[in-house]
Amino acid sequence: MKKSNVTDETKYYSAMRRLILSAMIGLPLGLLISVLCITYYFFTYSIEASTTSSMSRIVEDHRHMIDTFLRERKADLLFVLRSYTFKDLSNPQKLEQVFARLQEKSNAFVDLGIFNEAGVHVAYHGPYRLAGKIYKHTKWFKEVMKRGYYISDIFLGFRRVPHFIIAIAKEEKGRRWVIRATIDTYLFSNLVEGIRIGKTGEAYLLNAQGAFQTERRSGGHILEKDPETLQFPARGGRIKTFVQKDARGEKYLYATTWLREKDWLLVVRQERSDAFKTLSTATYLVLLVSLVGGVAIISLAFSLTARIVGRMKQADMDKRSLSEQLIRASRLAELGEMAAGFAHEINNPLQIIRSEQTLIETILSDLKDSGQIKGSKDLMELEESMDQIRLQIDRCARITQSILQFGRQSEPSFEEIDLRAWIPQVTAMISKKASVHGIKLGHEISDHIPRINGDPAQLQQVLINLLNNAMDAVLSRHGTEGGEIIVGAAKKDKGRIVIWVKDNGIGISPENLKNVFRPFFTTKPPGKGTGLGLSVCYGIIENMGGTIEVESEKGVGTTFIITLPAEG
Amino acid sequence: MKEMKMMLVDDEERFLSTMKKLLARKEIDVLTATSGPEALEILREHNVHVVILDVKMPGMDGIATLKQIKRQYPMVEVIMLTGHATAESAVEGLKSGAADYLMKPTDIDELLQKAREAYEKRQRLEEKIRVLQMRTLSGSPRDIIRESEES
Repeated sequence: MKKSNVTDETKYYSAMRRLILSAMIGLPLGLLISVLCITYYFFTYSIEASTTSSMSRIVEDHRHMIDTFLRERKADLLFVLRSYTFKDLSNPQKLEQVFARLQEKSNAFVDLGIFNEAGVHVAYHGPYRLAGKIYKHTKWFKEVMKRGYYISDIFLGFRRVPHFIIAIAKEEKGRRWVIRATIDTYLFSNLVEGIRIGKTGEAYLLNAQGAFQTERRSGGHILEKDPETLQFPARGGRIKTFVQKDARGEKYLYATTWLREKDWLLVVRQERSDAFKTLSTATYLVLLVSLVGGVAIISLAFSLTARIVGRMKQADMDKRSLSEQLIRASRLAELGEMAAGFAHEINNPLQIIRSEQTLIETILSDLKDSGQIKGSKDLMELEESMDQIRLQIDRCARITQSILQFGRQSEPSFEEIDLRAWIPQVTAMISKKASVHGIKLGHEISDHIPRINGDPAQLQQVLINLLNNAMDAVLSRHGTEGGEIIVGAAKKDKGRIVIWVKDNGIGISPENLKNVFRPFFTTKPPGKGTGLGLSVCYGIIENMGGTIEVESEKGVGTTFIITLPAEG
Repeated sequence: MKEMKMMLVDDEERFLSTMKKLLARKEIDVLTATSGPEALEILREHNVHVVILDVKMPGMDGIATLKQIKRQYPMVEVIMLTGHATAESAVEGLKSGAADYLMKPTDIDELLQKAREAYEKRQRLEEKIRVLQMRTLSGSPRDIIRESEES
């Protein structure tokens, strides 16, 4: 029964502990995590959006620049085409003049050539000797004849220098002729390669087949095929941003768009980690904060829970012991009240019995004196019987008086007591009796014991009572040799002292131990004890705001422990 | 010394009659009353020196009776007879003017001893009063005569 109670209690406390723990961890941790998650989500979103949009803007701007460059060169050539006739330009001097004027506008022009309908290089001005060559079957010539306008991909050509050409055809008096200019890509490449974003941001051009048209800083030479097979976006002015892994497994953030003037793809890319550097810093910070915060919350929750549950246990225990004490005290008080009333009622008949007995005795002795009855054996028996009646009345009187004392505990009158001096005074009263019975009476009184406030007379009654009990217990076990009683006193904790009386007597059996403070409980033979001594002690000590407890082992000894409030 | 005159007041009639018999054998004159009003009635008619008064009685209890006696007959000595072992009722009695107290069940010898002590105390007191009165009234023999006639 008791055991199941204990396990129930353990279950109750561990359930309570779980409840408090889960509330104390769950709520703050949940809040922390959700706040961090929300912040992180929106932060990420805004960083990504702003990074992507800035990249898009870069792509947009540069496409515009490159397109403008190409458009201007084309416009230059168109201007020449419109200003001069085939005949004018077939003249090398004139061509040189025109070229010089073109170069004034842009030094990107490397050479200038004029072709007739059959693809014959009619006139040329530039660093190479190309005049007279026939281009009828080249790709660019066919294209320009068909569409009237052509910009080539970049190629190295004879010159081993990256360049490309712009060619435009013109209809003149039913015949077509073509003007072609070579553009040095040096300037042009600078426009593209010059883009730098962060540590790894770069830009390059790819042709429709995915070959580099400009150098790529992180590796990739002109005309080489791009090792990353990018998903080419649909033609048109749209900018496409995406994330893709390169050959080395590095994640890149891409922004791509097609040029308007030529089938080239402008690619701007940056390593994702570089682009979102603030993001990764933020991520680490978030993780750190969650970790530290989580650890703090959990450890705090554990320590607080342990304290709360500890306090609860303590409070429950205190409550239980308090209510037990109250029940015991009220039971004792009721019993005392009843006993006192009973004793009082008994005293009246006792008084009558006593006066009757005295009357009988007086009459008997008068009769004897006057010789009306002679001394005989019967008379002696009668007289002895009378004595016995008187003795028993005395005994009854003693019992009723101690009951009344127990039931009507008078208020203690408090005085300051120095136990170091007081205890030896009290033990001295019974030291003679002890030494007669061969009992060793010892003291164990701490020097640092504070003074107490108590009723010396009542406290003396308690101590004498305990000492008498101890002597009886010692005598029943050892006779007149080997008995030992120790009276001790010490400071217990803040504001309390203990006094103990320890004997090596017969001890008290466990079933009797529960009852020692109960009124009328005695193990002594009839007529020897009233069974009220210890309950009176109990009442006195309770009245002084203290407690009295007993520890005992059958055949080993008994210790009575009094705890009293100390002064100051 | 004049013979001591006692009165026992208790609601237990058997106690009263037995005590009366006992004291008669010791040649002590004793009056008895079973209640406070009865005791006061007797006091009005008799010159009683010592009253043994039970504390607990139905109706008018011992303490109330004591107060009445002390008010009406301040020279009468009262000894309280209490069934309580505690000091409180005795203390209350002594405060209200009782000469002494006795605990039930009491011994007849103890009772007599205390009664005599109280009686002697009363005698001493009366003696003093008499001496004092003699001094103050010595100038008027007629008064002394009248005084002695009255007493």
